[in-house]
Amino acid sequence: MCNARYLLLLCLLAGITGLSDAARAAHNESCLGCHGEKAIVNRGGSRLYLDPARFAGTSHAVIGCNSCHAKVAASHPADGIRPSRASCRDCHAPVQQEYGNSLHADKADCVDCHNPHAARNHATVSGRDINEQCAKCHEHGQIVGSHAKWLPQTSLHLDALPCITCHTGSQNYYITMYITIKGNDSPTGDFRLATHEELARIAPGRQFVALLDSNGDGKISLQELRKFNKGAADMRLWGMMMPEVMTHSFQILDNRWDCTFCHSSGPKAMQTSYLAIPEKDGRYNRLTVEKGAILDLLYGTPDFYMMGATRSHTLSVIGLMIIGGGLLMPIGHGTLRFLTRKNRKEH
Amino acid sequence: MSQQEQIYLTPMPVRIWHWLNAFGIVTLCITGAQIRFPEFVNLFGTYKAAIRLHNTAGVVVSISFGLWLFYYLFIARTLAKIYIPSLDDLKEGLFRQGVYYFFAYFFGYPNPHEATPDNKFNPLQKAAYLMIMLVLLPLVIASGILLMNVDPLRGWIILLGGLKLLVGSHFLIACMFCAFLFTHIYLATLGHTPFAHFKPMWTGWEKVEHSGEQK
Ligand code: HEC
Ligand code: HEC
Ligand code: HEC
Ligand code: HEC
Ligand code: HEC
Ligand code: HEC
Ligand code: HEC
Ligand code: HEM
Repeated sequence: MCNARYLLLLCLLAGITGLSDAARAAHNESCLGCHGEKAIVNRGGSRLYLDPARFAGTSHAVIGCNSCHAKVAASHPADGIRPSRASCRDCHAPVQQEYGNSLHADKADCVDCHNPHAARNHATVSGRDINEQCAKCHEHGQIVGSHAKWLPQTSLHLDALPCITCHTGSQNYYITMYITIKGNDSPTGDFRLATHEELARIAPGRQFVALLDSNGDGKISLQELRKFNKGAADMRLWGMMMPEVMTHSFQILDNRWDCTFCHSSGPKAMQTSYLAIPEKDGRYNRLTVEKGAILDLLYGTPDFYMMGATRSHTLSVIGLMIIGGGLLMPIGHGTLRFLTRKNRKEH
Repeated sequence: MSQQEQIYLTPMPVRIWHWLNAFGIVTLCITGAQIRFPEFVNLFGTYKAAIRLHNTAGVVVSISFGLWLFYYLFIARTLAKIYIPSLDDLKEGLFRQGVYYFFAYFFGYPNPHEATPDNKFNPLQKAAYLMIMLVLLPLVIASGILLMNVDPLRGWIILLGGLKLLVGSHFLIACMFCAFLFTHIYLATLGHTPFAHFKPMWTGWEKVEHSGEQK
């Protein structure tokens, strides 16, 4: 719904400036000729440089430099005039409004969390990227310390949850899996998030996606997932519980104290999951995974398990059968014992 | 009347260990059930309380297992004698004891096994306790300790095949303990009177009826 508004805005902007996409791209190119080259750093610091590959992946590339930096004269930079910058609220009024009402509004500005030249949405980032945004001000060790007062296994939680899962009000959640690779040679080697380049090296000459999505239908079936997990020794899938929608109402929510907000499975909980693959432009490409994969007995997600929430039904049935076996003795033997009690009285 | 004699069958450290362990394991079973099935089992108020209690009981049971092992290995030095079935036990003892429990018992024959401090358990008991104490309990303790430290011990968990396999094993072994508990408590009521076997676990003294003297 929001997107429709943005699109309208996009058309409007395009209409006003009277530029076609191609013309705007050419425009971006002309600015990036200087601002996209590392050499610009020598002429005024690293703030002048922006990564063209990352910029190209953002929605902001579509609207072009000029939408935000209007009236850059032909004589720029020689004229010494500092180009204007559009304010985020010009185009993101709903977000601005929501954020403005939150307690966090006077703690941080849009650009404290976002780099407008590398803006991404919640579906194209990793949970870790999000946590890095917050870590600029909220020092990680301190957050671990303050949350450890009530949250056991704190660092595990903070690794498997972006801060916004607990601090914004999304109604639904899903599990997104990221590819991690072994950091060193020890058998218990550190696994860390794989970059696009590392994955490209693993699958030279073809798309890495093909290793996962073997039938190329753009979806990951449970079978494909199992095959990957059984086969890839140096790669693991790291699950993160992500909010379905991004809200900017940063807040402390009382129901997140209650562990069963997450550690309990409703009938439909934890059915939806994605697999995210890093792209060249720093975004993640999210592939849909077959429903219910998270609940698979072993190989769906061998490294992700939330007590109470992602238990396998099959395993529960086997377990209850074992317990039932234990009851056979008291019930069966006990009945016979009762029926034959006279035999023992004689002794 | 049969002639009765009292023997000191279960020394104090073993009794303390036994009840610590027993209450520990019952607690672990119940809290474990809430941890896995929070929608169906809620006996401890909050999930967090169940987890706390489970972790505490887990540590208590682990320590009490350590003490038990130490006691039998280094102080009493009777671990092998008491818990490991002898060749005779395997060849016929198991069968004899099985026949007693499932057949002879119903017709009032006496128990073929007679408990002495050095040979406390009948062959079936030996086999079951050996499995429980030296295989399943160490496994459930090891998997529990890993689960308590998922992040610090992640490398080991991956080496063992992943978190899911670990939790799955922990759960299945937990179910075996639960099953064992039912059987264990029931079989303990098969003495001369239903409580004949429970008393010595408190007091240490067991009434023994000599089978030769019987009837
Ligand atoms: C010939 C190279 C070149 C081109 C082309 C160029 N710039 Fe610049 N730009 C510079 C330099 C050098 C500076 C630093 C000037 C200074 O600090 O006085 C700068 C500064 C800026 C600044 C910020 C200055 C500040 O201090 O905050 C913006 C914004 C900017 N340019 C935008 C653009 C846009 C938009 C375009 C494309 C329309 C563009 N530039 C094209 C070289 C260039
Ligand atoms: C969505 C709006 C938007 C677009 C599109 C955009 N910028 Fe910016 N740009 C900004 C804002 C806002 C700032 C100020 C950031 C800050 O204060 O940290 C900025 C800052 C800059 C700066 C100066 C950096 C600094 O910290 O002062 C340069 C240089 C720049 N932009 C160049 C470009 C170029 C070149 C393009 C196109 C390739 C571009 N911008 C596209 C919004 C935009
Ligand atoms: C000139 C209009 C304009 C301005 C100014 C603007 N944006 Fe955007 N922004 C857009 C449009 C259009 C989109 C694409 C909307 C969408 O897909 O949801 C977008 C998308 C985004 C996204 C999501 C990234 C993505 O790839 O979908 C973020 C984050 C964002 N903007 C942040 C900012 C911030 C922070 C500022 C202020 C520094 C800002 N924007 C200023 C127009 C603008
Ligand atoms: C405290 C940090 C923070 C502040 C301040 C903040 N945002 Fe965000 N915003 C995020 C995070 C985290 C995301 C998720 C995507 C990401 O990581 O970039 C996001 C996502 C977005 C998106 C994409 C929406 C989507 O569905 O993912 C837009 C647009 C956006 N922000 C605009 C703004 C604007 C405009 C402001 C200022 C009024 C602002 N943000 C202030 C943290 C912040
Ligand atoms: C520019 C710095 C900055 C960034 C970036 C930032 N915060 Fe904050 N935040 C603050 C400050 C300052 C406070 C108030 C002091 C405190 O409680 O630590 C605060 C407070 C909070 C609070 C407590 C609010 C309350 O009601 O007490 C939460 C929750 C929070 N931030 C979440 C986040 C999240 C989530 C992110 C990342 C998406 C984030 N912050 C990013 C500066 C920042
Ligand atoms: C499992 C849910 C959860 C996660 C994940 C989480 N928080 Fe919190 N957070 C809470 C709750 C609940 C409180 C209120 C606890 C309190 O007041 O002591 C809180 C309190 C806070 C506070 C205010 C108290 C303080 O510590 O200063 C800040 C700031 C904060 N969180 C930031 C973060 C950041 C940053 C992250 C990500 C690294 C994060 N939180 C991850 C649930 C969570
Ligand atoms: C916002 C959701 C959320 C909340 C709230 C939450 N957890 Fe977790 N919990 C998780 C996730 C996600 C994992 C990690 C699963 C993984 O990576 O395998 C986890 C892992 C755990 C683990 C480690 C064992 C395991 O399942 O892998 C324990 C123990 C745990 N949580 C206890 C708690 C307790 C106690 C509370 C309440 C104080 C709580 N959690 C609140 C989401 C949550
Ligand atoms: C026979 C005794 C035990 C039983 C019956 C038992 C049962 C269970 C069950 C059913 C679960 C839930 C697993 C799931 O979601 O499938 C669980 C989790 C867990 N168990 Fe046990 N367990 C026992 C012993 C132990 C021991 C000895 C320890 C520790 C040393 C331990 C530590 C844990 C931990 C850490 C978890 C994860 C949840 C938490 O942090 O509490 N368990 N247990």
